[in-house]
Amino acid sequence: MTIKVRFFARFRELFGGDIVTAVSPGTSFMGLVKEIAEKNSEGYEAIFDQNGAFREFVILMKNGKRIDCARATEIPVTDGDEIAVFPPVAGG
Amino acid sequence: MIAIQTEDVDIGQLINAAKGRGVGAIVVFDGIVRDDDICEMELEAYEEVALCELEKIAAEAQVAHHLFSVDIIHRIGRLAVGENILIIVVSAGHRKEAYEGSRDIIEAIKAGVPIWKKELTKDGSRWVPGDHAHGSTKHSP
Repeated sequence: MTIKVRFFARFRELFGGDIVTAVSPGTSFMGLVKEIAEKNSEGYEAIFDQNGAFREFVILMKNGKRIDCARATEIPVTDGDEIAVFPPVAGG
Repeated sequence: MIAIQTEDVDIGQLINAAKGRGVGAIVVFDGIVRDDDICEMELEAYEEVALCELEKIAAEAQVAHHLFSVDIIHRIGRLAVGENILIIVVSAGHRKEAYEGSRDIIEAIKAGVPIWKKELTKDGSRWVPGDHAHGSTKHSP
């Protein structure tokens, strides 16, 4: 399966903007983001806490819809999904 | 007009376009880059999602406040102090609806539209912390 992962703002500076990656069927939202984040220790700590959970301020989207971080381990990614990970918004 | 763009807009033109039959009030919100010891500001957006959310905010405000028209233009890219960031122009029959509609729109934008600001200073840069995390508590990185 091919998934696009997009980081924004400070997370983009840590990981790069758009990452297109191949993943195995059954991979969860959490598993995918963790796999990418583990390649960058500073980036990992920006997104995950010491228990390996998403930090409270992290916002997740799947195909333009917000995802509850608490459900990130249950939600699978599917071929063609666009995942977004970003800090609290500050527009306006 | 609902747009996310780098270019500035002609606010006078938007005001003129908002006048029409039955319009008794037009309210303009112009958010600008404040001179908080910064040189410039850089704005970034998750554009496809942000545009959809601006359209939804405009549509909901139009219904909720009986607005005749709503324009929202949010700029991105690098902006200098004093430049326009966000322009909201609403028209309604009366001032109550126009003021309330304009207020609701800016608050909704700040609460949820995926846009971020980075302040550039002579010493470096800093991301403006957002107030709204995914949970009910307010945190910022």
